[in-house]
Amino acid sequence: MSFGFDDRRAQVTVALVLVLLGFLLIVQLRSQGSASGLEQLTSQDLTLLVANLNTRNDQLRGEVGDLESRLVRVQAAAGNGERSAQQLRTEIARDRTWAGLDAASGQGVTVALAGPVPASAVQEILNELRNAGAEALAVGDVRVVTGSVATGDPGALTIDGAPLGEAFSVIAIGDKDALAGTLVRPGGVVSLFAATYPDVTVVVNPTEQVDVPGTTRTLAPAHGTPRL
Amino acid sequence: MTRATARLGRVSTWSVTLGVALLALGFLIAAQVRTEVPRVRYTSLERVPLVETATGLKAQQVDLQARILDLGERIRASETTTQGSGAAARDLAAQLDAARLAGGLLALTGPGLVIQLEDPDGPVPSSGGPSDRRVSAGDLRALVEQLSLAGAEAIGVNTERIVPLSGFLDIGQAILVNSAYLVPPYQVVAIGPGDLYDRLTSSAGFQEWIRSRVQPYGLRVKYAEIPDAAVPAYAGTVRLRYARPIASPSTSASPPASASPSASASASPAPSAPPSEAP
Repeated sequence: MSFGFDDRRAQVTVALVLVLLGFLLIVQLRSQGSASGLEQLTSQDLTLLVANLNTRNDQLRGEVGDLESRLVRVQAAAGNGERSAQQLRTEIARDRTWAGLDAASGQGVTVALAGPVPASAVQEILNELRNAGAEALAVGDVRVVTGSVATGDPGALTIDGAPLGEAFSVIAIGDKDALAGTLVRPGGVVSLFAATYPDVTVVVNPTEQVDVPGTTRTLAPAHGTPRL
Repeated sequence: MTRATARLGRVSTWSVTLGVALLALGFLIAAQVRTEVPRVRYTSLERVPLVETATGLKAQQVDLQARILDLGERIRASETTTQGSGAAARDLAAQLDAARLAGGLLALTGPGLVIQLEDPDGPVPSSGGPSDRRVSAGDLRALVEQLSLAGAEAIGVNTERIVPLSGFLDIGQAILVNSAYLVPPYQVVAIGPGDLYDRLTSSAGFQEWIRSRVQPYGLRVKYAEIPDAAVPAYAGTVRLRYARPIASPSTSASPPASASPSASASASPAPSAPPSEAP
């Protein structure tokens, strides 16, 4: 009976194919499963990520150091009202500047914009400057605080309700070379705008001193309550 | 007739099973080979240490952020107990709290909205590149901007509080916000007025984002209006290396307008282009 022999051979073949199939299925599923992990990033993206994480962690370590010495000072000043008050004033000044409540001054860049500038272009520039480490931002005469967004039609933009007109500047305080470099690099926003918005002129000017005003907005929350 | 039936029976048992299995095998091999191509290209010697470094740095970042929040709370607690009861001391403590609230350095709870953004699942249109078919830094930024315009007073994205200096950056399939590495699903939490959802969804900017990004590429967006939305505190540095305060810190009044540069003073060519729409 050759039928039995065929039966056995076919069974073995099918079994082998199914084992291989199962193996490949698992391998494939595993390689798909890690899609959102770091393994999926290219070397270039990984390098960018490591650089970002390094910079950020250095800043965070600095902040931890500051806070630790502040905690020691606060505890030491327990019996000394005057010292404690002076420390508080220094902290208040720094936090107010950081939040945008007080005006600030320092080295940075001025980005002069003219023409039918779309609101998205202003937001794009702000985002680039933030990613490059800007410490304080203003658009026209308006300090950029939480919730400040440029809006409206090109040529008639407003930010926080203030009209910007046809020519205005974005001002950033920070490392002037880093800030200017991020805007004018090949493939950066300046070259992108030249291609996308040919009628808009962008002039990036790194300077030793720029000033940004404090916000005129009240930043106290009206709906949320602090979780202490 | 019986021979034909027996033959058919044999065909349907093994040949069909084998045929189907081989077809699946071929498909999987093809899929595997395609997955392997970029993998082989990038699995070079320098990549493995890079992944390990990035993983280590991510873990460090989480620890450092937790320490910053913890130290902030301990400092606050110490300051409250060592303040004394004088009116001047109470005033200073209130000023500090106000400054920290304004800067997003305190966590907030209030009525608001949770919006969850995810990459498409299932079949998506073949138009656009792969980067169009997933949630990008631009999408998160657009959503945060539209929420701000709709009146949100505090916004968080996953673990990160949105502050005046929060930047959004694409890295591969993930997004950096405040230089923190975030992966989907992205949860955008906003505190604001009771009609925040209505204001957001009726705004032209939001509708344009839905039309240009969500509808064509199948990004998944879910909303929930909740009475106790929780927005985290900013867990980062507030050190200023370049910016010096101008106004006196003890006054809460706005600085004089003369402190700000005039926009028209910065030399830029006179606008010669006629008004036109954005492309």
